[in-house]
Parts: sequence; structure tokens; C-alpha cells
Amino acid sequence: MHSLRFNVQPPLSSFSPRLGSLSVHRASENTTISVSTPGLITSTSRGVVPHLSSDHTRVSDAIRWVHVPFESFLELSPPVPTLHPGPYPLHACLGFRPNRHVLTLLLRDPADDRDMPPNGNSFVSALCLRGVRKATPDEWREHVLSVQPDLVVALSDIPYTPGSHSQRRITKSLERSASWLANILRPLPGQHVSAGAGAHPLNVLVHMAGGTSPAARQAFSQSLLEPLFDKEAEAIKPLNSLDEGVVGYTFDLAPLHKSFSSSDPPPRGTTTKNPFMEAADLFSTRPTPFATAQIISLIRTSLGPLPAIKPRIVHSAGSPHEILALIRDVGVDLFDAHWAQRAADVGVALDFVFPVPPVTEPSDAVPPPPREIGHNLYDKRYSHDFSPFADALRSCAAAKRGDTRPSCPCMACSPLRPSEPLKHSSVDEALPVHTPMPYTRAYVHHLLHTHEMSAHTLLVLHNLAVLDTFFAGVRRVLSERPEQFSEEITRFEQTYDEKLGVLAESRKDWNEVTLARGRGRLVREREKQKQDALETAVELE
Amino acid sequence: MQFEVLATCNTTRARVSRMKLPHGVTLLPTFMPVATQAAIKGLTPQQMEGLGVTLILNNTYHLNLRPGIEVLREAGGAHRLQGWNHNLLTDSGGFQLVSLNKFTKITEEGALFASPFTGEPTMLTPEESISIQHAIGADIIMQLDDVVSSLTVGPRVGEAMKRSVRWLDRCIEFHEKSGRNTVQNLFAIVQGGLDPVLRDECLDEMVRRRESVAGYAIGGLSGGEEKDIFWRIIRQCAEKLPADKPRYSMGIGFAEDLLVCVALGVDMADCVFPTRTARFGVALTFNGPLNLKLGKHAKDFNPIDSTCPCPTCSDRISRAMLHHTVTHETAAAHAVTLHNLAFQARVLGQARDAIMNGTFPTYLRRFFAGYFGDVGYPEWCVNALRSVGVDLLEGNPNAKVVKGDGAKWEYSDAM
Repeated sequence: MHSLRFNVQPPLSSFSPRLGSLSVHRASENTTISVSTPGLITSTSRGVVPHLSSDHTRVSDAIRWVHVPFESFLELSPPVPTLHPGPYPLHACLGFRPNRHVLTLLLRDPADDRDMPPNGNSFVSALCLRGVRKATPDEWREHVLSVQPDLVVALSDIPYTPGSHSQRRITKSLERSASWLANILRPLPGQHVSAGAGAHPLNVLVHMAGGTSPAARQAFSQSLLEPLFDKEAEAIKPLNSLDEGVVGYTFDLAPLHKSFSSSDPPPRGTTTKNPFMEAADLFSTRPTPFATAQIISLIRTSLGPLPAIKPRIVHSAGSPHEILALIRDVGVDLFDAHWAQRAADVGVALDFVFPVPPVTEPSDAVPPPPREIGHNLYDKRYSHDFSPFADALRSCAAAKRGDTRPSCPCMACSPLRPSEPLKHSSVDEALPVHTPMPYTRAYVHHLLHTHEMSAHTLLVLHNLAVLDTFFAGVRRVLSERPEQFSEEITRFEQTYDEKLGVLAESRKDWNEVTLARGRGRLVREREKQKQDALETAVELE
Repeated sequence: MQFEVLATCNTTRARVSRMKLPHGVTLLPTFMPVATQAAIKGLTPQQMEGLGVTLILNNTYHLNLRPGIEVLREAGGAHRLQGWNHNLLTDSGGFQLVSLNKFTKITEEGALFASPFTGEPTMLTPEESISIQHAIGADIIMQLDDVVSSLTVGPRVGEAMKRSVRWLDRCIEFHEKSGRNTVQNLFAIVQGGLDPVLRDECLDEMVRRRESVAGYAIGGLSGGEEKDIFWRIIRQCAEKLPADKPRYSMGIGFAEDLLVCVALGVDMADCVFPTRTARFGVALTFNGPLNLKLGKHAKDFNPIDSTCPCPTCSDRISRAMLHHTVTHETAAAHAVTLHNLAFQARVLGQARDAIMNGTFPTYLRRFFAGYFGDVGYPEWCVNALRSVGVDLLEGNPNAKVVKGDGAKWEYSDAM
């Protein structure tokens, strides 16, 4: 069994930026994994961090807390991780390490805002490769009990059906979400109901329902706090209210971003009826300052009546600008790295730091135009650029003396030699010692244009490290000079363009290279593989 | 290059050698993973190093197109570009010219082809090929040869062989004049199709140039010819090639082919098979290939091979998890690629140990029993190994022997 603890520095007010740490203590292993907040959560797809084999996942310091959407496992019944033998079944099944990784189980991928068939009174529609699956609260609880994640997000009724939602639909969504939360908060088999109040042993997070309606958000928060009576109270004994059993609050921004951008007509060709659209098409909504302001107000409405000492987790924030605003104005503690991981998918190497280093030019000089937060390495301008991915961070090749930039610890900018290369025979000799050099923009430019998967591996490792370093900078400012936090955010906003043009541009280039390779490429390769299966033909890659 | 034979098998023609190149030592026999476009698909050079791989292959034809010679020169060569500090071999581009370009026309001057990007007629001469390979800077470079499909018959085969000899002379001359011959090692490629007479003639001509080349490749095979002919050509070439130079069999990657070639005297081989098949979900094991797409692996929580030291198996990533992710997540392709390259390295590493210890015939029998025991030995392997004194059926007279090429394959039920 493991216990979860969130220590948060008492903030000035409910919504002030705050420092904290969330730790999972595993009594059986005698280890504690701590994640400093504000901090990041790594997103997964089909149970793995996209583009990373297990050896890369485990050497990346940025990857500590991991969100695991379960829906892909509904392809088989019973879902495969529920069958895994031994301790820490979810960790063991997915290849994460109990002494290194904190795993949260969610039913759905919170970044997936595609239109879906409606949820029912007793099920959520989830998506897997074989189509839509209905997941009931009872099944969800069973799965959670079997796979033993460190935390779990209770099922929530988030409407992903097209169009705006009626009052009735919203009311229904609140009722369902509360009742599904109550379901997972039932005492565990064998749990002493007299054990007293306190969070539920499953470490349940609740998604704050209510969509874009402040009234609905308020109502949902109130419903968590209200003491329950009769049968409802009996079901969650010894808890008096739902909130007592909850360890933290989550906010999915994907549906909110979608709502706030739906006033713009969708670009041609981006809407599709096919639920299995290309993953990259999910990357279409970027936060606008308008949307972020609305979101801040909605989250405040939700959090208003709730205790301030529980962690606040935001899913699918779209930019460092939005993250900073949510830390400053709401006191959010954790953010998933989905946008930074998607940037790696489309060839962007992130390049930004917080706080922005002091400018040495005289203050009356014309400020330079805002910079992009990264590099679209598809762009021709990088074809001869042999510098490391980031300018704002130091690679292992840079001389340390006098260089005040934070170092980029990723395997692309500071590659490490393998500690013990395999030997395959007694005559094998030790490899000559050399110092690995950082990977260059020109190399990744080449890999992207030749459709080599290694490009994305290097970029994911890098982008997660850049975001992790960014959060470390946020924590440093909050700890050393909290009074200047807002000022530093303003400098960040002036330095880095919040329009994220680089992401849009790279997404276009990514698409072009993919098209040039042909949509049916994988199918054709598979055909070719079949043909060649019985020959030792030299197969061209 | 320093080349030293450390041990030879008392029974077969197999040997263990130490090949010292500018970027370190590679022990032979070895398998060379293919990094066509300056990357082993999905992996980093540090991962390759971790697998104990010391020699990989880049393709000249591809690198010349992208990123192009200018970028390679600015980077300081392909080693620097891709961050690979160990040994590197480049082919000459001749094979790709023929296999990837329908309209390539071979003239005495060189190969005339349409640029795949601009459509412009472009001439690749032997001198140009070597010059490109100089810019890439690989430790081993290959002559430009006139490649014909191994299924070609008639006078074209002899013409191609003779032209390959003439082009070798031009490559040698250009390479020596460049002064690069102290840091890059030129290999000749024996041609002659499936005709033993033409092969002999080619071998005579090329062995005569032994002072000017660092090693020899056997080309023009593994193009769909019958295995029974394949091994006889390999044996003929390996026998006649000088013992003091490495012998490289091009395009060989199946474990059984590798071990037969090693027994016949081959030191090096390359193939995209283990990396490509990984991307399609096939994991290689000492008990034969596993198609991880098959439903039977869906609930199997064992690793691919619990004795395998690769990161995927030592992290105990299960067959079930790989079944869930292969062909959907690139991470699964990387995981199986790591495993398959470790498998190739283990098959040949164990061969080196067995040759050193004088137990290579036992190793062959054990390997084939594990790999083919349940489905039957390919007849051509039995015959090929008998020709060098190893009877795979020794002590097992009732073993099943199957005709045909005998590649062992699990077809998918999940496509």
C-alpha cells in the first residue's frame, strides 16, 4: 500500500501562486517519490510515453508523475493490465518503476476532445481502436482495484457531443459526476468503516464539472461539500461528504478551449465525422488570452468553496503563457505536458526559460520583437545549423564558466554514455572513451525530412526537460522572490510570443512531409513485408 | 586497418578476428545494423553503444540526396552528424541506383539516373561514389559496382562482373590519389551472379588487387535466388578470398543465413531485416521469431526472452504490453528494435566464443535445434554445413528436414 501526501506552503489567499510537494510513500518498498509543485505530469498514449522506449523513460528526470488513460485497454475484456500478476500491477504492466514513477489512472485521454457518442446515466463512452466502449462506474472501480494506480480520477460526465449544451444536459452531467464519484469512494472491501474520516485509500481525484457555466460549477463544488444523508451517506461511510474522500481536483481544459474557440469557423478540412482522425488534428486549439481569462474565472468559481490545501491539476494547458497565468491567478499545482509532447510530434524543439535572463542592453533601447518559444526544425533555415536545440539553455558542449544559462539535462543536449555497454563474447573489448556531443538542429532537420523516428525521440526528451526546467525556474522565483513573480511573468510574455506561430507552422510542415511520404505508407510497407517475408532480399528502408 | 585472425574453427571455415579501424576495434564475425539515413530507426547512438554494437552501416545513395554532401562536409562527416563515435561502413550506392530507380542506365563511364527530386539526369561514376564516401568519412567504404539482380541470366551478368573489376581499378586509383586511404578502407565487391565460372574469374581479378584493397564483399546475392545456390556461391567466394582480409556478405540478416555464412568463412554481414521486422512487431528469439501481433501474446506477461540483456527484456516489458503497442506506438518499434539488434549481436557473439573455445560445431547444432527444432531444419542449411564438416542431424537422426528456404515465420492473425 502507498500513502499520498501533499504539503503546500500556506498561500496568501486561496488563489495565490504556491509552492508545494506531492509525495507518494511506499511502505513496502520504503521509498518516497516526491514531485515539487508547480510541476509537470507526463502524458501517455496506449500506456507508454510516446516515442520513448523504457530505457529512455527511466533515465529522463522530467518523467516522475505519469498520467495513464485506460481506455485503450478496453479493447480486450478483461483489460490486460487487470490480469498482471504481482505487486504494482499497473507499473509492472506498463514498464514504469514503483521507486521512480507516480501513476494516475484516468479512463479517458483528457486531451482528446473529439466528438463522441453521448454518455449514459451509468456509463462513459470511451474510445479504443476497436471503437467506442461503454465503461460503467462499477467496472471502473473494479479495474482500479485490480491495477492499483497511485491515484485515480473518478469518472466524470463531460459532454463531448457537438453543439452547445442545454441546462438539462448540464444538470444531468453534474448529477452523474457526483454519483460516479460516490461510487468510487465506497469503502474498499475489508476497509474498516470506523477507521474515521480522511481521504479514501484509492487517492481519488475529481474532475470539476460544470463546463463553461459558472452556476453549474458552483453547484458541483457545493454538492461535493454537502453532507450526505440516508442511503447515499451509508454508501460512502465513514465519509461525511464527497469532498472528504477526495485528494485533489482536476480541470480538463480541452473542452473549454474548444468551447471558447468554437465561435471561429473551423478551418476547412479539419472537421471530420471519423472518430479515428489523425492524432495531429487534435492539436488544433491553441489558447488565446481571452480563453485563458475565461478559464481562470471558471476554475476560481469551482475552487472557491473548496479547501485550498488539496492539489489542483490542470490537463491540456496549451502554452507556457497559459500555465504561468494559471499559477499566478489560480494557484494551480500540476500541469500535464501534453502540449510540449505534441510539439515534439510535429518537429518543434522548445527553447524558453523562466525567469527570462536579465537584459544587458540599456533600458531605453527598442525591445526586440517577441521570440518564438521553440524552433520548427522542419524549416530550411536549420539545415546547416549545427548548434544544440536550445539557445536559452546550456548543452553539455558549452563551457560552464561564465555561462549562467540553466543546463538542459535531456539526452539530446547532454547525452550520456551508456554505463555498461553489453558485451557479447569474451573477446569483446571495452569501447574507446569519448565525450558525446549534443545533437544538432541540422541533424534533427535531416531526420524529420527523412521521416526518421529518432527525431521525435530526441525532441520528446528535450521538450519534457525544457518544461521541467521551466517549472524549476517558476519554483525558484516563488521561493526566493515571490513578490517579483508577476513582474517576471510580464517579462516572459514580452519576450516570448504567445501566438505560438511556430507550432502552427511546424504542424503544416509535418503534414506536408507525411503527405509526401504517402498516406498509405505503412500499409504499403506491410504489403512489402509480407512479400519479402520468405526471402532474404535486401530490404530497403 | 589492422586485421588479425585470433582463432579458426577446427572443423568449419569459421574464424574470429580483430579488426581495428580508425573508430575502434570490432570483433568479427559481426552483424552490422543498418542506419540508412544516418539513424538506426528510432534509436539513438547511445542506445546502439549500450547494445554493444561497434560497427553500423550508412547508405551513400540516401545521404548524398539528404542531407547532401555540403551538410555532411560542414558537419565534419557522418560520424559527427549522427553522433556515432564508433565504426561506420558506407555502401557505394550502386545497389540503390538499380533497385530504387527504374530508369538507371549503366554506361562504362558510370550509372546514369534521374534525380528522384529534380528528375535531372545525373551520372554517378566510380570516382564520384568514392568522393561522396570521402565526404561521409566512413571507416570502411565500398567500390561502385555494376549490380545486376541475382535472377538475371545471359551476357549481362558477365558484362557487369567485368565492369565491376574495371570500376574497382578506378575506385582504387581515385582513393589512393586522394590520400584518404590511410583513414578510410576500401573494400572490393565480388560479382558474377550465380555463375561459378564468372565468380571465379572475378575472384581471380580482385584477389590480384589485394594490396590495394582492405577487404572483400560478396555482392549480387540475396536477391531471391535459391538458397542452395546462394550458399555454394558464398562458399566458393569465401574459400578463394585471402585469409588475411575481412570478408563481408552483403544483405544477409536471418540468423540461419548468418551462421551458415560464418561457417563458410564470412566475417561480416548487414541487413535491414532485424530492424524492419521489429517495426512490424516481430521479435527474434533463439526459439525462432515471435509475431507479437498474434492474439496469443495478448495476455502473456513474460518478456520476449527472459535471458536477454537488452533494455526491453531486462526492464521486463511484457509480450502483452508489446502486443498492445506494436504498430500503434513508435515506442514499441523502438523496444523491439533494441531487442532484435541485441539478438543479432548475441547470435554472433556466442559464435565468436564458440569458435574461440573450439566448440563452434556444437554451437551450430544447439542453435539450429532451438531455432528450427519444432518446424524442421532447412535442407539447404543441413547441406551447407555438411560441406564444412558439421552434421546438424548428428545424434538426432529422426529430425525433420524441410525443403525450400525454410525461413521460419509466424503469420499474423490480427491484420
